[in-house]
Amino acid sequence: MQKNRIIILGNGGAAISAARAARTAGHRGEIHLFSDTTESAFNPMLSPYYFKGKVSWEGCFPFGEDFYRNHEITCHFGIPVANLDATRQQVTLTDGRMFSYDSCLIATGASPVMPPVPGLRESTRALPLRSAASARKLEEAMQTARRVLIMGASLVGIEMAEVLVKRGIAVVLLDIADQILPRSTHLSVAAILMKYLESHGVDVRLGYSMQRMEETKDGVACHFADDVIEEVDFVVCSTGVRSNLGFVNRDKVKVELGVLTDDRMRTNVENLYAAGDASQAFNRVTGQQDWMGTWGNACYQGRTAGQGMAGREAFFPGSLPENISPLFEWNYAQLGDIQPTTGEVRHLACGDPERGGYSLLAFSDGFLTGANLINCTHLAGKLHGAILRKWRCESVIGVADGDFTEAAVEDILDECTASC
Amino acid sequence: MTEYTLFFDASRCSGCMACVVACQDQNDLVTGDTVAFRHVNQHEEGTYPEVRIALHSGSCQHCVDGPCLLACPMQAIWRRPEDGTVLVNRDICVGCHSCELACPVGAPKFTQDGKMAKCDLCYVRRDHGMKPACVRTCTTGALVYGPIKEISEKMREKASIRMLKGLASLSE
Repeated sequence: MQKNRIIILGNGGAAISAARAARTAGHRGEIHLFSDTTESAFNPMLSPYYFKGKVSWEGCFPFGEDFYRNHEITCHFGIPVANLDATRQQVTLTDGRMFSYDSCLIATGASPVMPPVPGLRESTRALPLRSAASARKLEEAMQTARRVLIMGASLVGIEMAEVLVKRGIAVVLLDIADQILPRSTHLSVAAILMKYLESHGVDVRLGYSMQRMEETKDGVACHFADDVIEEVDFVVCSTGVRSNLGFVNRDKVKVELGVLTDDRMRTNVENLYAAGDASQAFNRVTGQQDWMGTWGNACYQGRTAGQGMAGREAFFPGSLPENISPLFEWNYAQLGDIQPTTGEVRHLACGDPERGGYSLLAFSDGFLTGANLINCTHLAGKLHGAILRKWRCESVIGVADGDFTEAAVEDILDECTASC
Repeated sequence: MTEYTLFFDASRCSGCMACVVACQDQNDLVTGDTVAFRHVNQHEEGTYPEVRIALHSGSCQHCVDGPCLLACPMQAIWRRPEDGTVLVNRDICVGCHSCELACPVGAPKFTQDGKMAKCDLCYVRRDHGMKPACVRTCTTGALVYGPIKEISEKMREKASIRMLKGLASLSE
């Protein structure tokens, strides 16, 4: 039975999973949880479902307030962490109080990146979507809006476009890249999805960047090149997120996009762990430590860290960047690395989104590295497994993409999913 | 807690699909909705005349450490304490498909209301002393249901017999 003091910084999926795992693993000592929020753990991925009316506001806090009491966790809410002294094993809050620890988890999550557009960051009508507070602001803004601009055609941006369209609000969705979902979707798949969005009335503009933004009497004016001005009620910023690590001394703790971790979610500093969106963990496709950012991964990583802090040996086997979401009436999944940069790269596609689904598979030297699936997301879990297992298809090596018939690609897909 | 599981013996499966129909019937799954929580995959290998067909009847494995439980943002997926059956609370499912991405066997299905549904190991039948519908229907005995410990012992016994037969044929 461990009786040491565990400190958990953060109050999201990773933090809660860590606290629960530590108790389940037999930790009987103190657990202190620190958060700058004042509510129980909020799940940011549920916000679009709340806007769509699929979950109540209370449902966006899936662990409830009882969790902390039931797991004997001392909460320190509403006060941000000012400094983490990893050498002395001490945490200092912004109100000056200090807490020492035997083991500590950094699970502070991530915050939206607001693009450096003049006038945007100062505006109260430029709204990101991440925290409970930001979801409340967006909900309030949507009540009276008639026209909205979304910056960033990420999955969050597209989900917000769906929410707005379904509420009868006109949407302009723009991205600086020349395709929607530029990070993890193949150009051809992005084109299909874009056409689908447009068929629902979303005004998609690519290769488009805002030059400045100014508030007007009842909205904002967004200025673009060639004197194009878009007047909207507010702007949704879905241009990515950045790990919340302002309190971490980067001379001591290794940080890239997030805190670098090993297969037990340990950092380079003894007794210090990191998990969830604040960390980078093992990506089984690239072999690198990457930011993976899904709720499931965050919870798995948090659980691993919690077990480790309680003295039990546990491992995070690695995963891959991936996401899945319903988009209007369609379902879309993106897995792994869709644009491998090494080896002989092959992209094979088959199917039809409206008839059984459309799949695109990416290979590097015959190894499956990624997949995009429209309306055949039932294959997602099997393909996820195949990518992790480094499933290899000999027949795609040395053959041009165009030499594969639709039936041949279907056979490859069958072979891949049957191997699971 | 005695944990229960289903075991599939591929050497006995004839591909008759009776298990799939039994699943549809038991769960009142209609055309246009989810086809069935159980599915039979047929995989062809080789080229004529050296060909073989592998059959696999699959459904939710009721994993001891199910990845779907962690992936669900609503905590709608849970394990029944009495026997380890993995169940979904459809009242709170938001239809985000996260479980679909996590499940390595493709068990989560989505009904027309957009919510997840899957094999519940016919827990209502079992609570009344009956076998799961697919097991009861399987005429060749390819699907077996029972306590994990008991099934594991049977599997070990079967594997041992296969190994001994192999050794015996080598010595002939």
